[in-house]
Amino acid sequence: MTADSEISEQPIEPATDVRPVDSEVVLARGHLHPAILLLRLLDAMRQSVVTVVAGLALGLPWLLAIAAGMFLLQLGYALARYLTLEYRLTATELRVREGLLHRQERRIPLDRIQDLGFESTILRRALGLTVVLVETASGSGVEARLDALSRSHADHLREVLLEARREIVAAQQAEDDAITGPGTADASAADNSTATASTAADEPEWLVHRSTSKELFLRGLTDLRLSAFVVTGFALFEMADYLGFLTQMSGVARGVRDWFAQFDPVVLGLLLLVLLLVVISFGVITGTVGNLVQFHGFQLTLRGSVLHRRFGLLTTRQKTLPRDRIQRVTIEQPWLRRATGYGVVKADSAGGSRAQGEDTAGGWDVVVPLTRLENAFALLPALLPGLEREHLPWQRGSRRLVMRTTIVGVLIGLAGAAALWSTAGSLALLALLTIPIWALLGILAFRNLAYALGDRFLALQHGIVGRYIAYLPTAKIQSVVVRQSPVEQLLGLAELTVHVAGGSPTRLPDLTIENALELRGELARIAAIAAARDWQTRANATATRPPADRVGESQLDPAAPPAGDRRPWTEPRGDGPAADEDHDRPGGAPPDSSRPL
Amino acid sequence: MTSAVATPTERLAPRVIVYWLLADGISATFLTGLAWFIGRPIAAEWDKWTPTYEWLLLAACIAFLAVAVLSPPLAFVRWRFGFLDDLLLMRYGILFVEERAVPVRRMQHVDMTRGPIERLFGLATLVVFTAGNEGSAFRVPGLRLARAQELRDRIVEARGDGRL
Repeated sequence: MTADSEISEQPIEPATDVRPVDSEVVLARGHLHPAILLLRLLDAMRQSVVTVVAGLALGLPWLLAIAAGMFLLQLGYALARYLTLEYRLTATELRVREGLLHRQERRIPLDRIQDLGFESTILRRALGLTVVLVETASGSGVEARLDALSRSHADHLREVLLEARREIVAAQQAEDDAITGPGTADASAADNSTATASTAADEPEWLVHRSTSKELFLRGLTDLRLSAFVVTGFALFEMADYLGFLTQMSGVARGVRDWFAQFDPVVLGLLLLVLLLVVISFGVITGTVGNLVQFHGFQLTLRGSVLHRRFGLLTTRQKTLPRDRIQRVTIEQPWLRRATGYGVVKADSAGGSRAQGEDTAGGWDVVVPLTRLENAFALLPALLPGLEREHLPWQRGSRRLVMRTTIVGVLIGLAGAAALWSTAGSLALLALLTIPIWALLGILAFRNLAYALGDRFLALQHGIVGRYIAYLPTAKIQSVVVRQSPVEQLLGLAELTVHVAGGSPTRLPDLTIENALELRGELARIAAIAAARDWQTRANATATRPPADRVGESQLDPAAPPAGDRRPWTEPRGDGPAADEDHDRPGGAPPDSSRPL
Repeated sequence: MTSAVATPTERLAPRVIVYWLLADGISATFLTGLAWFIGRPIAAEWDKWTPTYEWLLLAACIAFLAVAVLSPPLAFVRWRFGFLDDLLLMRYGILFVEERAVPVRRMQHVDMTRGPIERLFGLATLVVFTAGNEGSAFRVPGLRLARAQELRDRIVEARGDGRL
């Protein structure tokens, strides 16, 4: 902790404002495209159609009045927005002014803007429009939304904006260098990474991954959860029950029942099975089509330190993901994808589009929709630089995990049997079946559970039927929690939870308490050092910069292809038993469930 | 490495037991009173009401009160907190034991809250926030006011920029 004492003695630099004097010169300005009014009109019509139909069908004139009122209100709002919204780009900031009664002007400093994202639905594209999303680096995600500009205006705005931003950051960097001198390794790393991000427009763009149609097709085909079977089966069961109930109600329904009754139970069972298959294949087909449409032409590229994703057939999306903001990368393999050797790569980031209420349907966290597992491992270093140099000593969780789930199964079974005893009699003993089931789940979970703490990454593998592998940069850790339930206390087990900013916490279940405490100590120590380094970076640089907590960032040669392409991973790393399929995993292979240690 | 595993040692102010007894006790007494003296006569009108239910209700009420009486001392016995270099450590929980570690420099801001009864006892609760959605707030209850202020100042000082 010697570094910390140095920091606290250092005087704190206030956030330096290095804006040029001529900040009022307008580089670009504009309004929304008038065609947006047409879209708004269609929107308003679409939204009032239900009310109008209901009003006509039910003969309720007041419903029609409400619909008309809503329609006019929406149109008026759209018109007001169109007339009043104006954006202006100066040398230092982007200003968006809008509002008729309540006027507001939002000013977004250029050095906070990471990039402009474009998104356009099929209608907007037909009209040559695009929604412009102003994305900031400070973790707040999408800062402003211009719906919509013409494509050429949007491109022009982006070009001018990135150019202006580059100049500002260069000026800031020069100033920082003047203040801090050559500076510590940390500070210069911060400058370099900011510079890398800022010069993004000049830099070559490296293709990290392009989804093939086969991959996207398979994504839909394997998009079948185990739970879907259970739910569908249950729904059909309910339906059959409902049919039985209906038969007592009316003659027609009785006819239906008689029709059903002419089959013997076996045929009826087969019929239900066919129905189940129909429902499931309907799900698969819609899923496949949906995936093909949503992720059509998916392309992941890296420019400087910013990842770009472009995808979509009807609604095209262009999303940026600054690499610094990635808090966790997960390779997800639910059962079917695991069986076929494919996985989805997802990245959790601080802030990000989800903060704006965008749901998972937008694919906000999907970095690669689907790819073969070895490809997924190979491109990880492009997302988490430094992972390729990492040695990850994989360790298993505690075997006592099986004991824990068995105890839970016993408790559930006993409670269930006791609760059902008075009604079901000895049949209630069937509830005790939870014991072997939970024991089996425990065995499966144990075979999949592994974790590793390297120099800069924490890795975790878990799953029961599927498998999930997660990598976390330890520098992003906010706090660490070790938790023990009563059963875990009995068995000397513990669950470790790692919290990061913004994203969901990562849980490492079923460690021995000794391992958990040791890991907690180690992680907390790393987190404290990283926090001190972030803090110092922030004190040195302006407060608006993205924290750069990777010292190694500056070593990334911008002229070289991303690490994922550069290193094909031909040599197995780590000292674990490396089987053929495990070659490619950065930092050594996690133990595979097919070969328990 | 084991040095970093060190468990925190500082306890809460003992009078927090009385405070918890009072604060939780009032609501527990009120709820059981409600259930027994108002809920029971109403339920007794129900034609399927049997003495078995009455015994169950009595047991539930007693258990509820017992928890309210027993949990404060147990919670006090379990609670530990303290600083380890730049880390704030906490350990607490009766059934579910939790140990948390938060680097001081990861804290976004520190609150000191004092409810009316807490003020009566001269107690304060320190709430520490880190960035993040879930599990971003950490509470250290039952601190003497002076100690809470000390801790807060220490955190502010350790962060060094006075921005808390």
